[in-house]
Amino acid sequence: MIKFWNKRVQEGIVTESKELESELTVIKKEIQERVTKKFAGSLAIRMVDSGSCNACEAECNALSNPYYDLERLGIYFVASPRHADVMLLSGLLTFNMTPHAKDAYAQIPAPKWIITLGDCPVMQAPFEKNYAINAPVGEHFHVTHHIAGCPPNPLEIMQVFLEFIRKIS
Amino acid sequence: MRFIARYAKELEENFEVITLYDERIDKELLSKEKPITQTLSRKYPVAIWFERKMHDDFGIVFHDAFDTRPLVHQERFPQGLHPLLRAFNQVHLDASKYLPYKYEAIDGDGVFQVAVGPIHAGIIEPGHFQFSQAGEAILHLEVRHFYKNRGIEKMLEGKTLQEAKPIIERISGNETLAYQICYRDIYLQASQQELPLAIAKRNALLLELERIIHHLTDLGFIPNDAGFGAALTFASRLAEDARRKLQELTGHRFGFGAIDFKNHSIDTLSFKAWLHALQKDVLYFQEWITDIPSLWDRFDTTGILSFDEAIKYNVLGVVARASGISQDRRLNKFYIEHGFKMASETSGDVAARFKVRLQEIINSIEMMHNFLQEDTTSLSLESVKDGEYMSFVESSIGELFMTIDIKEGVIERFYVRDPSFINWQALHLMMQGNIIADFPLINKSCDLSYAGNDL
Repeated sequence: MIKFWNKRVQEGIVTESKELESELTVIKKEIQERVTKKFAGSLAIRMVDSGSCNACEAECNALSNPYYDLERLGIYFVASPRHADVMLLSGLLTFNMTPHAKDAYAQIPAPKWIITLGDCPVMQAPFEKNYAINAPVGEHFHVTHHIAGCPPNPLEIMQVFLEFIRKIS
Repeated sequence: MRFIARYAKELEENFEVITLYDERIDKELLSKEKPITQTLSRKYPVAIWFERKMHDDFGIVFHDAFDTRPLVHQERFPQGLHPLLRAFNQVHLDASKYLPYKYEAIDGDGVFQVAVGPIHAGIIEPGHFQFSQAGEAILHLEVRHFYKNRGIEKMLEGKTLQEAKPIIERISGNETLAYQICYRDIYLQASQQELPLAIAKRNALLLELERIIHHLTDLGFIPNDAGFGAALTFASRLAEDARRKLQELTGHRFGFGAIDFKNHSIDTLSFKAWLHALQKDVLYFQEWITDIPSLWDRFDTTGILSFDEAIKYNVLGVVARASGISQDRRLNKFYIEHGFKMASETSGDVAARFKVRLQEIINSIEMMHNFLQEDTTSLSLESVKDGEYMSFVESSIGELFMTIDIKEGVIERFYVRDPSFINWQALHLMMQGNIIADFPLINKSCDLSYAGNDL
């Protein structure tokens, strides 16, 4: 392990887009009171894949790598909808996933929001509507915000999260 | 004889059931009034999902099958509908009455059932796992999927190959280059053209890059599931570097649209420098992680798939090579000339699958050096001829099989068998003698696709 710590110290911090942190500081100042009231200072997200190709999930996982380190902004992916403020919904809302996505949403305590992730849930991806697909998601849920892209890259996702925090306050 | 796939198509008067082995293809015609045939599942256990799927898709009945439950269609799917029939043209389904699915379960004093999913605790695709437990010990696991079924096969019918391409690219995001290369090979068969070597080399380079990204991600997540987070931090950074390289080469972080019958300029110097740096980091990682005994306590002898079971279940890819089977679609002249060496382990446990991934990354780096070249060859595509075409590619998971029938210039039947469709069926065999807390570790060591499986 000593070799690991040596390497770790040599390489230092690789996290990028530091400007997001200062942006967040500004937002925090602007909205501190309301954020504290609504989110107790942090934003908890429950990711639900309703029938994607897994690229959107891979990009959400990438948000935790050292370059992006999403949690420094106080935004967390949580294991249960009961811990969440927001449902982040990717995929085409398949016929088979529709009841489960609705269940997950019902489990989130109010106040709650839905952000759609990627082109699939809004039917902007190349897939066509058929018997197995219930998208666009807007016909089944009240969607607050959308992150476009196929898939949106991690930085775009982070920027929209901040935009979202600003908007709902 | 290795079983590869079994699927059906609807002809004018009949159904045709096609069974593909590594040595031959069997075709059988069934009447539409009474579509009944004999099951293969007694000899090839993994045939059962193919047959259950054919029943859902076409209504074909398999005599003597040990399992006749629906596969793709779930509790609320309307009864008696078979969406792959020509006559089926609904674009919307209303959920019908909830009919419970009868899970495989072991009963007994103190034995209880644990249901996991479809929505999991992490950022993972949806799928269901049903465990029969005696305390910590797993007695049985049933894998139940198809939550992501998007009706891709039906969606592609009636489209030209060009129209189908953006959809085929997006069947499974982690394997998009493998899917695109399968598509490429089918296109070239249909247009009766040869692929220039220079383009084959670029495409192979991209496929190895995709494999590296997938394996690096796993090298982080597998130790992470054993509570060793530092490996995830380290490996996820390397995976991100590789993904950015893929974007540099193709303009897309996953390579959607990258297999385009053209070569684009590559900054070979900076790419080579990156490959060297990556190799150094991976060797460092290997030395570091091999030296952590508490981690190998969790990996060794966990989730064993024996050689005999691996053969019986016709498993593919990383899982097969970790159980002592020498099977890889890259075992051909082109790849061997560019430095391909088959990874191999024999213990069949989590450790073996982890080590196979490490070996493959190191070998892929070596091959990418050999595939790399400055070149701007391009191929103008001819029009396609009607026919039945098949292709195979070794994706980062295993052997991918795709078949497309073209009639009057458009797709009449599209079918793809992701390696996951077979490997998922062998997952329960790895559970014997393990505790439920090791399930995420075992599952991640196989890292199968849900999207490619569900279609």
